[in-house]
Amino acid sequence: MKKWLILLLPLMLFAKEEVVIKVAEMHCPMCTTAVKKALKSVEGVENTKVTLETKLAVVTAKDGIDDKTFLEAVKTTGYEGVIVTRHHLKD
Amino acid sequence: MQRRVFMKGCIALGASSVILPQVSILEASEPKGKTRIFFVKNSYNLKHENKNGLTKLWVPLPQETSYQKVSDFKFSSNATNAYVTDKNSYKARTLYAEWKNGGEKLLEVTYTITTYERNADLSKATASTKYPKDVAHYLKPTAHIPTSGKVKELALKITENSKTPLDKAKAIYAWVTENMYRDNAVVGCGVGDAGKAIEQNIMGGKCTDISSVFVALLRSVGVPAREIFGIRLGSSRYSKACGSSDEKGLAKITGGEHCRAEFYLDGAGWVPCDPADVAKVILTEKMTLNDPLVKEVREYFFGNWEMNWMGYNTARDFVLTPTPAQKPLNMFGYPYAEVEDEVLDYYAPAAFAYSFISQEKL
Repeated sequence: MKKWLILLLPLMLFAKEEVVIKVAEMHCPMCTTAVKKALKSVEGVENTKVTLETKLAVVTAKDGIDDKTFLEAVKTTGYEGVIVTRHHLKD
Repeated sequence: MQRRVFMKGCIALGASSVILPQVSILEASEPKGKTRIFFVKNSYNLKHENKNGLTKLWVPLPQETSYQKVSDFKFSSNATNAYVTDKNSYKARTLYAEWKNGGEKLLEVTYTITTYERNADLSKATASTKYPKDVAHYLKPTAHIPTSGKVKELALKITENSKTPLDKAKAIYAWVTENMYRDNAVVGCGVGDAGKAIEQNIMGGKCTDISSVFVALLRSVGVPAREIFGIRLGSSRYSKACGSSDEKGLAKITGGEHCRAEFYLDGAGWVPCDPADVAKVILTEKMTLNDPLVKEVREYFFGNWEMNWMGYNTARDFVLTPTPAQKPLNMFGYPYAEVEDEVLDYYAPAAFAYSFISQEKL
């Protein structure tokens, strides 16, 4: 059993997930840059794509970052975010 | 291999096949007053962290109207591709440039602009509300200019004793200049979110914020209205708040973007207005609505434009050409640039980086 855990440990450490956040109040292209920078500043976030047209931020991050951390980052831009989905990514 | 260098020499805007004049018959018949001539130079040296990313820049260019004429238009750039277009829903004149590789990203745009004082003849206005199709377009709501709900409620309240479109415009202008104030803490010209301003009673703002509320209220009661995004060029005869230059007519106009407004009256055509500069004079000169200068400015800016400013376009909540990663653009009074899908901060000229100067021919 221990052997399996040791073998799985690297996978657990490097597991990623995709988190989709709705930021409905974004109203101009500059808002997307502000939200993107705020989310990228969260430790463990690897990539962020923010789209004004859909008002969605799609974040790729290491596993285990809680909703509150993402939403607080969005809040620093003056907007409220809502988590839409989050799911694990397969390597 | 050196990148291709674009040099466009002496291309008159009105003569170009891609830039067509948008002058309506009514605009062309407006009386022309004092003429001023300005040489304008826009310099770009784009800066961003992702130096090798695909970089796209859209620059607003002045529109050709009865009150401003462009000549000696030139641009030079080391861009991979650059051209002028007005292919968008508002025919907003745009210089587009893109850089596909790393290295410096340079663009310089120069032109001469002749401006004519605008003085609307309001005695020609009729009460008709049959508008041409291109004018009726400016009755429609946009994302930032709603015409229903609380906006309409407020507009109806302000105009309850007004019968004609001119009366309604006067009442709304009086209300906006009485109730809205300039807030210098707002970044740039402001976002111009009239719906939010009225719903949340945010009466402080800058030129786009104030003009947008003015426009939304007018449209809500059936008077066509629009913002015009542009930039100050030189000195004002009223106050430094409305524009300034040195004794030789030189003005550093980076950050001088300024949004004005117009409304349409049958018989009189598009009527120039500037409720935002009334608020700016009040704040800058530390005055109230009762001071003689403010009274004069307030009266003047209902129907007149002192043309130490030029207009770019009336575009709101629209999509640029070629299509950017982020859309729609809420207004196009500033240069707009993207590196991949990231937007450069057009409110930060030094970081962007761009600088503009204007030299008036005295």
